[in-house]
Parts: sequence; structure tokens; C-alpha cells
Amino acid sequence: MAMQPGADATQSGAGDPIDEPEALRRLQLDDDPSAQYYAAWWLGRQRSQHPQAVILLRKALQQRRPRQLGDDVEENAVARNAARALGKLGSIAAPAIPDLLETLNDDDHGLREAAARSLGQLNAKAAVPLLVARLASGPAVAGAREEGTPRLKEPCDAMLEALGDIGVGEDQVLQVLHLFLEHERPVVRSSACRALLQLTGESQWGERMVALLHHDQLQVRRAALMDLGATGWYPALDAISNTLAENSLKLIALRGLAEQTDKPAPDEAVLDAMDALL
Amino acid sequence: MTTPPEIQTLIDAVVRADTSDGLLEATEALAATGHPDSAPCLLEILGFNNPGAAVAAVDGLIAIGEPVVDTILDNLDGYNYGARAWSVRALAGIGDRRGLSVLERALAADIGPSVRRAAACGLGNLQLSDAEQADEERQRCLSGLIQATGDGEWIVRYAVTVGLERRLNDAHCPDALRNAGIEALEQLNSDAKEDVKVVRLRAALALQRLNAG
Repeated sequence: MAMQPGADATQSGAGDPIDEPEALRRLQLDDDPSAQYYAAWWLGRQRSQHPQAVILLRKALQQRRPRQLGDDVEENAVARNAARALGKLGSIAAPAIPDLLETLNDDDHGLREAAARSLGQLNAKAAVPLLVARLASGPAVAGAREEGTPRLKEPCDAMLEALGDIGVGEDQVLQVLHLFLEHERPVVRSSACRALLQLTGESQWGERMVALLHHDQLQVRRAALMDLGATGWYPALDAISNTLAENSLKLIALRGLAEQTDKPAPDEAVLDAMDALL
Repeated sequence: MTTPPEIQTLIDAVVRADTSDGLLEATEALAATGHPDSAPCLLEILGFNNPGAAVAAVDGLIAIGEPVVDTILDNLDGYNYGARAWSVRALAGIGDRRGLSVLERALAADIGPSVRRAAACGLGNLQLSDAEQADEERQRCLSGLIQATGDGEWIVRYAVTVGLERRLNDAHCPDALRNAGIEALEQLNSDAKEDVKVVRLRAALALQRLNAG
């Protein structure tokens, strides 16, 4: 998976401590996008369960504003943060699923990516046909590089991961995931393996991600760490501990393993491995 | 005193390394010596933004141990979060009491979660080797850890549970202080007060081990 932008208060340029009423107030300041950007991020980060939060975030999701010269934020920044926040709110955000589905067809690549991730986090089964349709052309089209940018035509990693998170293991979903096992970018292959492991439980997909923990590029190792963490695949424990990458990321991955186990007692092997990385 | 030639050769290899893998290998070789003269070079590696090499360099600094503490304290980089995090981690791993003030400040106020995380762990590891100061220093370690149970980052709260477990596993800890520490762990183990599962799991393990011990 790719590192997600906008996940850090310091990027908002307005990282002051605020409370829920203040965030809801700022989200309505239509003439101050940077206040709205921060408010949307804040509501997601705090997993706000205020009834107004979803209503206002759905409205913010419709906001379009091109990147302007001198802006330090991305295109459609408020809408992107609103999409990301909705994914973090849990079942209370269900009324926003149709809006997010519509956003999957937006022209803005970054907005499609944010919407895909959030639909995955919300386990939105209704998103499966749309995601499959967007990816069906495979690495040659959906996964081809967009002229003049480092991006792919579709935000493939986000969409593949969403299919895994949603958890519908139908044949046509698996077929699409298999197409991306051959993608030229290891990060995309990792996303496909992650989803296949989640949907089939077959260890071969976990083993492929473990192999990517030894990749030459740090960026690939980081992505494989996050993907293994998302699956909570226990056999990866030692490989994660020994990966050459930041301890912070290894700890996030191991958290995934620790929280996955259904055992009533804490799993000492995973927790000991985490302690050793502090 | 001059640096022994075999150490100098290993330092030169670090300086000459022009690939990420090359730097890692050279750092591992230098770190394995545990020689105090390797310290300035190992400290420099912490600022290279090469996590693999930094891990090896921290191991090397910890292997040198007590003689390197002053050098680390004199070199704390005020601007590079990454390098400071690794330095705090080295101080935490060495566990020398001279690091106490740095660890206390880092846990309470550092902007980087990875720095606060290492500091929490370090406050649990500190060797209270000066008998006259031990009571006061134990108190400072535990107060710092208890304060940090309200940290906004899960990984810092996780590290606090680890620090508390280690600090409380000490026969010299007075009852009042022990009870305050146990109460902090119980909060971190509570569904109502702690929403991150792995923190609750770690707090439960700490309480289980402390009761068993």
C-alpha cells in the first residue's frame, strides 16, 4: 500500500488543539478551506460520533477546488479529507456510502483513492462491482502509468486493498486480484496478495508478501509491512521483526498480528517482539 | 590517545560506503567492536536517514555502554527528529541514570512519537545505581510514566505499559508508588478508558506478570 497523505496534523498547517463543536463549526467555514481541511481531518482522527459530523462531511465531500498557485494543500483537499474521515467513523457513516460510491467515478485520482480506502474501511459491499469494473482492464490499462505522472491510471493499490477489506471473495473479485499479481510495481503486487490472503486465507499470499520484505527498495519493504499487518498473518512474525525498516512501521504491522489473534490471553510472542522494537 | 588502526579502518569503510547495503555492512562491522572510539562515527550514522544502519549503530552504542553516555548527551541533535529518536533509544538501551533528565523531557514534551516511545521504554530500563539518589530517581521515572498514560499516540501508551511493568518489578518500590503504577496499568487495561486493543493486551500482560511475580 502507499503511505497515505493527510494523516498528520502537521500537514494541515493548523495543528492547534480544538474540540468537537469547534471542529464542526470550522467544517462549515466555506470561505476558509484550510480551516475546513483541518476540521475534517480532526473529526476522522477523533472518530467523532456526533450526528452532525456525517452530515457535514458528506457536504464537504462535494466541495471541489483546484489547487491554486501558492497553496500548500492538494487539489480538492477538503473533499479528500472528508472522504478519509468518513472511513474512520464506523457504522455511523453508513449514510455516506452512496456519496463515496459516486466519488469512485470522480475525475480526481486522489479523491478516488481516498474514497476507495474509506469504502474498504466501512466494509461497503455495494462498492465491490464498481471496484471490480474499475480494475477489470488489469495492469495493461487500469494499472498502466498515466502520461506525465508517476501515478497509475487507477489508484490500484487502494482499490485492491479495499476489495480485501470488504471481504467478498466471489470468483470475479479473485480473478481481478489475480491479474495484478503480475503488475510491474511490487507495491501493487503486495496489495493484491494482501487482499487475496484476506479473502482466501491461503498462506501462499502471505509468503509472497514476506518475500517482498527483502526487496531492495525501502518503499517496497514498507508497503509489504503495512500489508502484512493489515492481514494479521501470524507466520510473518519473525520476518516482520527482522525487516530493514523503521521500527515504527514494524510496530504497526505487529499490532495487526497482536489484535488479530482470537485467543483470550495476550499473545506473549507478538508482544515480546513489539517490546524489543521500542 | 589515538584510535587503533583496526577501528580506523572500519570507520573509513563507513565513510566510503556509497550504497545503502554497503553502509549497513560497514556499520554492523564497526558496531560489533563495541569500541568507544567508534562512538562519534556511530552517532553520525544516526542522522543518515538509513533505518537499517541506524539500528546497527544504536546496537553498537548500547554495546559500548556507560562510556558513551556523555558523548551522546553532548551530541543530541536538536533539529533532526530521526537522529534524536535513535539517540534517545540508545540512552534508553544503555540505561545509565545520567540519561534521566533527557528521557523525562523527551517523554513529556517531544513532538516525535518515536522519541516519546523510546523515552518511555528508557524510564523503565534506567539502572538506579546511585543508592543515595535511587528513591528520588525511581519516583521521577514512575511519575513521568504515569503522566504519559494520557499520550495521544497508541504506541507511546504501549511503551508506557512496558516501562511501568519494568519499574514496578522492583522490590524497593514503595507501596504508594507501586499502587499508583498499578492503577495506571489498570486504566490502560480498561475498555472504557483505552480504545486501542493492543495497548489493553499489553497492560493485561503487565498486570498478569506483576501479580505472578
